[in-house]
Formats: sequence, C-alpha cells, structure tokens
Amino acid sequence: MISFGLEEDQQIIQETVRKFAAEELRPKMRAFEKSGVPDGLRKKFDETGLGLDDVALATAVLVHEELAYGDPGAAVALSAPYDGNRALVALADDAQRARFAGKTTAIAWSERKAPLDGFSTIAKRVDGGWALTGRKAFVVGGAAAELQLVFAQLEGAQGWDGIGAFVVERGNAGLRAGDKHALLGLEAVAAYELVLESCKVADSHRLLGGAELGKRLEEMFARSWVINAARQVGLARASYEFALEYTQERKAFGKPVAHFQSIAFTLADMAMDVDAARWMVWRAATQLDKGNLAPAVAAAAHANEAAWRVADNGVQLLGGAGYVKDYPVEKWLRDTKALALFAPPSEIAELVAAGFELGHHVSGEGHSLPSTAMQPFFT
Amino acid sequence: MIDFELTPQQAQVKEMVHQFAKHVVRPISLQADKDHRIPDDFMLRLSNMRAMMQAGEVPAEYGGEGGGAGEAKDKKGKSQKNRFSLIGGEEMAWGDISVLLSLPGPGLGGPPVQFTGTPEQKQRFFGVFKQPGLHWGAYGLTEPGAGSDVAGIRTACKKDGKHWVINGRKCFITNGGRADWVVVFATVDATKGRAGHRAFVVERGTPGFSCGKIEDKMGICASETAELVLEDCRVPEENLLGGEAHYERGKEGFMAAMKTFDSSRPMVGALGIGIARAAWDYTRDFVKENYVLARPIPRYAQLADTLAKGKRLLDAARLMCWRAAWMADEGVPNAKEASMAKAYAARAAMQVCRDCVQIMGAHGLEQHQFVEKWYRDIKVFDIFEGTGQIQRIVISKRILREAPSF
Repeated sequence: MISFGLEEDQQIIQETVRKFAAEELRPKMRAFEKSGVPDGLRKKFDETGLGLDDVALATAVLVHEELAYGDPGAAVALSAPYDGNRALVALADDAQRARFAGKTTAIAWSERKAPLDGFSTIAKRVDGGWALTGRKAFVVGGAAAELQLVFAQLEGAQGWDGIGAFVVERGNAGLRAGDKHALLGLEAVAAYELVLESCKVADSHRLLGGAELGKRLEEMFARSWVINAARQVGLARASYEFALEYTQERKAFGKPVAHFQSIAFTLADMAMDVDAARWMVWRAATQLDKGNLAPAVAAAAHANEAAWRVADNGVQLLGGAGYVKDYPVEKWLRDTKALALFAPPSEIAELVAAGFELGHHVSGEGHSLPSTAMQPFFT
Repeated sequence: MIDFELTPQQAQVKEMVHQFAKHVVRPISLQADKDHRIPDDFMLRLSNMRAMMQAGEVPAEYGGEGGGAGEAKDKKGKSQKNRFSLIGGEEMAWGDISVLLSLPGPGLGGPPVQFTGTPEQKQRFFGVFKQPGLHWGAYGLTEPGAGSDVAGIRTACKKDGKHWVINGRKCFITNGGRADWVVVFATVDATKGRAGHRAFVVERGTPGFSCGKIEDKMGICASETAELVLEDCRVPEENLLGGEAHYERGKEGFMAAMKTFDSSRPMVGALGIGIARAAWDYTRDFVKENYVLARPIPRYAQLADTLAKGKRLLDAARLMCWRAAWMADEGVPNAKEASMAKAYAARAAMQVCRDCVQIMGAHGLEQHQFVEKWYRDIKVFDIFEGTGQIQRIVISKRILREAPSF
C-alpha cells in the first residue's frame, strides 16, 4: 500500500539523530573540516548505537539523511568503520568472522589506473597464500585501520569474475601508507593511497571469491549508493533550509529578498528537489530490503543531480555571502560533488540503467558493463 | 510505514485500466485528435469505465458506484480514494488524455459539490449521473481576466427574490458546452476579494446561460474546452452551493474553489506522467527496433542515457504525486505538497516528451508516430489547474514565514 508514514520507532530514531546532528555535528563542521572527526565524537556516536548494523535500509536512510544534514563530512567519517565491518562480515566465512570481528576495517577498492573491468593490483599465487602488488586509492581510514579489505585481480584471471578479496593486517611488511588525498570537499574524511609491495597474505585471509563474491558486492554497493543518496538528501535539505532562512533575513530594496519572485521560486524548486530525491531514496531502500537492486541506481543518480542543483542554488541565493566560509553553503556545494563520487559516476549509472530497460547490457567501446563495474571511487 | 507497493486490488485496477487504455482507447487516439471530438458511441462505452476510473467521485449514498475500489479503506479505516484515482488516471492518460478528460461524470465539478453541497444538492446534482445517456459536470472558475488569480474573478452575482442573477463570462471550461451543470464561481462584491465569492451550480437550460465558442487548441484537441456566457442568468437560490449560511464565515466560496485543487493537482500531475510514460514507452520500443543495430555506438549510448534519465525523472514525479494523494487520503492538509507534485510532474513530463521527440528524430515529427501529439498534449499540464508559476507562488507562500506580496 502506498504510504509515506513513518512507524513510531522510526520517528524516535529520526528525532534522536536529528538532535545528535544539531548538537554534535553542525556547530563543529568547520573544525571537522580542518582536523577530522575527533575520537571523542566517535565514541559518542558509537554509544548512540546509530551505526546500525541490523536495521532495515528503510530506517537506515532516515539516519543518514539526518547525519548528513548535520555535516556530510562527519556523516561519512563516522559511518566508515561500520561500512568496513559490514563489508568484511558480508564476505567472510564463519572462521574469518570469528577471527576478524570487531577490528577496524578499511576498504581498499579504488585505483587511479584501474582497467574498466577489474583491477591493476595483482594477487599472485605463492606458497601457502598470495602476494599482492599494486596501488590503491581513496581508502577511507587508510593504513591506520587494523585491517585492510583489499580487492585485487587474481593473476591470469580476466575481468570481474577474476577478482579476489583479501584481508591484510596492520603491520604487514608489504603494506605501506601512501599519501593522504587532498580533497575538494568532505575534508573530514581521511582518505589515503595504499601501497602493496609483494604483500603476503595467507590463504586463510582470502575471503569469498567467484560468482558469489560478485553477487555480494552488488548488494553491498547498492546499499552504499542508497545510503549515500540519503546523505545527498540531508545535504540538500541543509542548504535549502539555510537559504530559506537567510533570504528572509537579508533585505534589499526595502524587503526580504525571499519576497522577490525569482528568489521565492528558486526556493520552491529547491524544496521540490529535496522531497523528490528523498522519495526516490525511500523507494530504493524499501525495494532493496526486498532484494530488488535496480531502483538503487536510479536513486543514486537522481539524488546526486538534485543535491548538486540545490547546493548550487544555496550558494547563489546567498550571493557573495554564499561564496565565503563564514557561511556553510559553500562547503555543501563542495561536499555534494565529493559525495557524488561514492556512487557510480552517473554516466555509467545511466548506461547500466538503460541496459536494464532495453533488455541487454549496453556496450561501450567493446566492453560490457556488469553492475559491479559501477564502482564508486570512494568506498 | 514506508511502502510503495500497490495493494493487490490497486494492481488489479491498474492492469484493467491499462488493458482498456491500450486496446480500446489508444486505437482511436489519433483520429479523435484530428477530428477534435470523441465519437458518442465511444463515450457510452466509456461511461462503463467510470466505476473504475472515478470510483468514489460520486459517493455511494448519492447513487455513485458505491463499494468500488475508490472507497476501499486501509487498515486504519482511511480511504484510499486519491491513491486509486492517481493509479487509474495515469494508466488512462497513457491511453489518451483527451478521452480521459472527456469521461462522462461530474469531473472537476464533483469535489465542490461533495465538499460544500447540502445533502439535498448532492442528491440532485449527483443524481443526474444515474440517468441513462451521457452526462457531465464541469467547473467554471477561470475568466478572460482572471485565471490563475482566482481571487480576482469579476463574474458578478446579486440576490433578486428567490433567485441569484449572474453576469459574466467563463473560459477554458473543460466539457463546459455539454455539461448538465457547471459549478460557477462569482462574486457579490469584487472589492471584498475572497470573502465575496459564491459558488453556484448552474444547470444547462437556465435562462441567460449559454455556451460561447469552443476553443481550437494546440493540444488535447479532442477535449472540449468551452467559453460560457452568463447574461442576467437567473439561478434559483437552492443552487447556491452549501446554502447562504455557508458563506457567513467569510471565505467559504473561495475555499470551495481551492479545495478541489488539493485532490485535482496531484491527479493532474499523474495524468501528465501517464502521457510522458506513453511517449517514453513508445520511444524505447522505437529505439530498440530501429537504432540498436543500425547506429554507431556512441550516438546510441547518448540516447540510452537520455531514456534512463527520463525514466527516473518520471519515477520521482510519480512519488511526488503519490505523496500528495496519500496526504489527501489521510486527511492531512496538502495544499503545498499538491502544488509541488503538480509543478514537478508537469516539468518532468514536458522534458520527457521533448526528449522523446528528439530521440526519434524526424520520425518524432510525424503525426502517425504519436509522440508529436503527446508533445502538443503535454504543454497544457504546465498551464491548466494553475500554471507552474502559480504553483511556485502557492509553494513559496507556504514555506516563507510571512506571505510575500509579489
């Protein structure tokens, strides 16, 4: 039945996060931007239990919208350890789970020079295990994490079917921290390069492989796109509400600028963009909870576009004030672009979505694009 | 709870209306557009669809299709009427929008009678639809000098004994020429603004009431759009909607006019989505059949990209409309959300129709290829039931602390 109403427990969760975001995140967003999220805040966040390992996605999106409404950078930084753990648990067998449970995990997926279908990081078979060699990029948390979840191409195996997932422990002699990325937005997120030089891992550290790995990755990515789209909604709402307040205070020609039609209509468009993107996220979340992945791509692409439009309008409506760092809207305009890179680039998302619609995978330059190719740059 | 799945009953209605739209409506669509009319015998078949399409529009107690899908209640006892209407409306518009707009029944005149009418009035005016043959109701608000600015209507009404005398002109009235009755909005004193508004049901044949010209339009050609003339038109006092006491509180006449929009604006949005989805489906099939093997890949990829984007735009617009309809069903005030739904859906639908013509290239201009018709039809969705600009005024007045005087 078509319904947009929240259950009572969802309302309580939403109010709890809203309060956390208003008190702990928004006032300190510029500090997070400079020096990241402090450990004390992480602890507070952990204590709220909002990391949400076992909640339906339809509820999780409410949480992530509110967190990002507080500060998109902190929202990503606070969630990253949970994302790492969730990925590890999804790909590990029972013994591996028992062994690695509770350790902080960073996901080393992206590469600067990955081929279109797979990785340039190679996993070579050696006695008793594997040796990994390559460079990973955009690893959130970087080498400081206790565990690295490294994705690599199995030597001699082509394409997405030939990839492997490995756990590399901190202190491994073949693992070296690379440079920290200097980012356009989301500076609170510490993302690093990671260098693997004949990094030896035992067989016991290789996670799920083969077709099942691809399936789990698809689910994992779909979930992260929807959550990320929820963040875009929170960011857009923040920018919209800020501009709504500002334009009613700021006067020109004897009246609040919001009382000029061009401003008021822009605010109306922003309100529509925020709502429409949220419903796309909610639909994708309820569908993914039922195992249907397709609306996740649409929600991600839609929310990315909508949030960018809203954040741009947010800066525009504040005029010169929007461009200086005394106000938060310039940060949201930078953050929204960074958030967009957690999801599949929209050009590829559209191609894959079109493939679904036209009944076949769309080809581009001779490559077919399975949905695992819609890798985010960040993980 | 958050849910976007149709109930089995809704899915069934959707499927039935879709089959009807596909096999009965679509085949006459192009001819009706050329002829600027829908044949009467076809209209008679349509009255049979009324139960499904406009379920609940005529309440059961006044002889409507009681117990129909539109009156189904959810677990909390809330009606799902608006959601049903949107689901059915989108499918029917997918078939042909002019056919839908011409469906016999009270049309937009229904809500003011239902919300404002006395029991006697409901009995009398809804009773018309129980009689055999084709019957329409209509809604007469817009005037040559006041469309979007509803508060500025100039059609005058004056009490004279047991009658009201009405003078003025109404324009762009859907089904206005053939309607059995029209809800006409007039003012006792234009200087009083909204407080001066009165709503009347003016019946066909009332002395001084006549139909002027039938408009020749860019699109929705088979839908009748009439000008109505009221010259010393004498309407019995029993036809003042809600009775005189109803207007003592001030803005009731205006509120009656506006109340219609809480339900109709999301519906209009859904109809626009239906048209755009028709264009999208048609173009998708065209691309599959004609371009996949024949065109170089880079160009084809861009078309696929545009199609994918159009689809999710329509999905987002549909959710906006569903949300406003859900609020109406829940009895929650939804004026802002109804305007948001309509404004968003109109723009999305126009974009998709335009993209479809573009994707089909020269074929998109050919009259037998449908999309040129949908391209003409869709434009009115950003105009009627309040232009996109008016919707943005409604929205901004509700998001700003103090209403601006634009």
